[in-house]
Amino acid sequence: MQGLMQSAAASLSPTVWTMVLGLVLSLGFVQVNALFLVWLERKVAAHIQLRIGPDEVGPFGLLQTLMDGLKLFVKELITPKPASWFLFVISPVLVFAPVLVPFVVLPFGQWLQVSDMPEGMLLIFAFASMTVFAILLGGWSSNNKYALLGAIRSVAQNVAYEIPLLLSAMSVVLMARSMSFQDIVGAQQGVWFVFYQPVAAIIYLIGATAETNRAPFDIPEAESELVAGFHTEYSGMRFALFFLAEYTNMFIVASVATALFFGGWRGPFADGPWWFLLKVYVLIFVVMWVRWTFPRLRFDQLMVFAWKYMIPVALANLLLTALVLKLVA
Amino acid sequence: MTPQAMLDPTHTLSEDTFYLNMGPQHPSTHGVLRLLLRLSGERILECDPVLGYSHRGQEHIAQNKTYLQFLPYPGRMDYLSALMFNHAHCLAVEKAAGIAVPERAEYIRVICAELNRISSHLLWLGAYLMDLGAFTPFLYCFDDREDIMDLLLPVTGSRLTYCYSRFGGVAKDIDETFVTGLRAFIKKLRGRLKDYDKLVNKNVIFINRTRDVGVISADMARAYGLTGPCLRGSGVAYDVRRAEPYSVYPEFAFEIPVRSGGDCLDRYMVRFLEMEQSLRIIEQALDRLPQGPVAPAKPVRVVKVPAGDYHCVYESARGQVGIYLVSDGGKNPYRMKWRVPSFSNLSVLPKLLVNTLVADTIAILGSVDVVMPEIDR
Amino acid sequence: MSIVDDTLGALGQALGEQAVAAAERPSAGYHLQAQVPAQELEAVAAMLTQKGFFLEFVTAVDRAQDLELVYMFSQWDPACRVKLWLSVPKGQPVPSLARLIPAADWHEREAFDMLGQVFSGHPDPRRILLPEDADFHPLLRDFQAAPGPAEA
Repeated sequence: MQGLMQSAAASLSPTVWTMVLGLVLSLGFVQVNALFLVWLERKVAAHIQLRIGPDEVGPFGLLQTLMDGLKLFVKELITPKPASWFLFVISPVLVFAPVLVPFVVLPFGQWLQVSDMPEGMLLIFAFASMTVFAILLGGWSSNNKYALLGAIRSVAQNVAYEIPLLLSAMSVVLMARSMSFQDIVGAQQGVWFVFYQPVAAIIYLIGATAETNRAPFDIPEAESELVAGFHTEYSGMRFALFFLAEYTNMFIVASVATALFFGGWRGPFADGPWWFLLKVYVLIFVVMWVRWTFPRLRFDQLMVFAWKYMIPVALANLLLTALVLKLVA
Repeated sequence: MTPQAMLDPTHTLSEDTFYLNMGPQHPSTHGVLRLLLRLSGERILECDPVLGYSHRGQEHIAQNKTYLQFLPYPGRMDYLSALMFNHAHCLAVEKAAGIAVPERAEYIRVICAELNRISSHLLWLGAYLMDLGAFTPFLYCFDDREDIMDLLLPVTGSRLTYCYSRFGGVAKDIDETFVTGLRAFIKKLRGRLKDYDKLVNKNVIFINRTRDVGVISADMARAYGLTGPCLRGSGVAYDVRRAEPYSVYPEFAFEIPVRSGGDCLDRYMVRFLEMEQSLRIIEQALDRLPQGPVAPAKPVRVVKVPAGDYHCVYESARGQVGIYLVSDGGKNPYRMKWRVPSFSNLSVLPKLLVNTLVADTIAILGSVDVVMPEIDR
Repeated sequence: MSIVDDTLGALGQALGEQAVAAAERPSAGYHLQAQVPAQELEAVAAMLTQKGFFLEFVTAVDRAQDLELVYMFSQWDPACRVKLWLSVPKGQPVPSLARLIPAADWHEREAFDMLGQVFSGHPDPRRILLPEDADFHPLLRDFQAAPGPAEA
């Protein structure tokens, strides 16, 4: 029996082991990161709004989110009677699972990456679009009209905003001639791509905000209209999973933006993961800043903005990039 | 689909419609309004407001209380402009019973009423922007509103449901601390209004959410009996303070902000500009504040209203308040009808909401600015 | 000619001179009052609407055997307020103005809710403030509220 397991282990390639290890570490990182981000969001919001924010639990209120997490953990999980039980229970898991996978390919540093797959960027976008299924399932199975409306909005919004997101990323891929993150970051040796591709960078950031359902594009969970949107009926840890996924998604899109446009782990003095994390958190800060400044768009305005402006501009940008590259090369 | 096509009334899928119960517990129905919406997707086909969740029978209470006993009640109708309702009630009874009010008391009443108007508008401004998804201005407005409440607390004795006017005067004279504090607040609020102007009024998302949404024409406003900022947003310069001046308002120079479009943005701008005009009135009143008593030497306890009917109108933060008082010469009012502005203003909502989107419901309802306990009484 | 005189003349023509009068006291708060027979109500309301009046409120006062209905019309500028009133025996319907003046819709519902006045031809004759299943009209003088828990 033991021999069998040993041979099975030996037959697995070292990449698989690093992947498993990476996933476990990512899981830990995801939790800590989300706790930190929630704290950061509350502090940023508070200071924008002339308040102090969490201040009581731990130094600078750092442990406040941990306490809130514990509270959510011990809360009763309520399943509405008319809800479709299985789908209702499974969707928080489904929303959380795909946000772990992108950590496998995120380039924290030159040597700090679980696996540099040649199609790493595609993997991230593929898994990012999985979230929308879970949201749709959650909203649909709740058997609540607000949740249903939120889910419908979410699907339409995600479909619309994934296209410009991918198109803007493709412009970078054309320049780097690779979908591997190490190659993309490597290509930004001297000048960051944001200076070659300012339009793509702006489109990416707008699309990413919409993709993560952040204000001013938070219409699937627009509190003043749909109460809490697709997660109206969720309580306790199930709600916490949606919450965790939202903040992790924010981290992922900011990481991708850093790698694609802002030189990844490169920086003055000494290249390394510190530069990567610094850039990511600065980007996240910007996203938070936007959230606490602007009102929310209306649903149809959001759609018009995506299909009439973002997608044509992103397409034109991609074609222009291809043309210039052809002429220069 | 373009928004125009989405809003096309002929585009109806009758079998796909469903009902949505918005309220009475909903973040944006401002209290306990319940809207029964029939939707096709997110498009509203029909709206039926259900009222009365905070009906306390104020008019019935008025019949069973003496005039003096009923004094604290009007402040509980529109709790956001309690000082104004309190003032209106006193004006109505004083006019009917022929009670004289010292000039200084009227000045103080006007100062406090205008402060209350500003605080009501500030709360509305913050809440409206929160409805539209901008959370931050809400806290800015509450910060300013807190200053007003801190000013009024030592004078009136309360922070929200004020009962400050008495028949023939006010309960307490103002002092130098109040005057200097108020002058400092006026200066501060002028700066803050500039900030709001920069943060909100030019924001393209805000303008897109409110422009051409919920358009009320002047004729429609008249047919539904709209008053206050809802009417002035439709291009009609009707303000009771100017049309039928009461108290000491004729002595002050102030403008009546009017916008002609009749959409949510215009109603927003009217309220926004009204705050500046209220500040002007307060400044003038402070400059000319006469000396003298603020209440009759002997407090008025028993009010004798000659038999007959009386009507008194007042401009509250939401529009024209009318008090129709029928007296049989007794200690209690025989009948006291309160014509509250939100009641008429809200009645236009079912018509406005047809063929709009759910998100517009919030923008339109917010721009009408209703206070449910006022409607339900 | 001032708007008040103009309206006085028009109302006098419609209802007869003796039915229309200026307010008894300056403190009354309205300029004109007119007693309107129920069958003339719609015509007079239409005439006032034509002249630019809006409906401030509709209410009723319990006068033992009768209900005294009060319709307050007003104008934006210059100010002119007209009180139309009529006395109807309790239980007798009065034509509804809701189709003519949308503002009357909710006010008439309230008058029904509070005092039991029925308006014939009202498009939506439901209660408005009280629960749908209430079987009383609280502003009638003989209504006694049930004692609250503290008093009982």
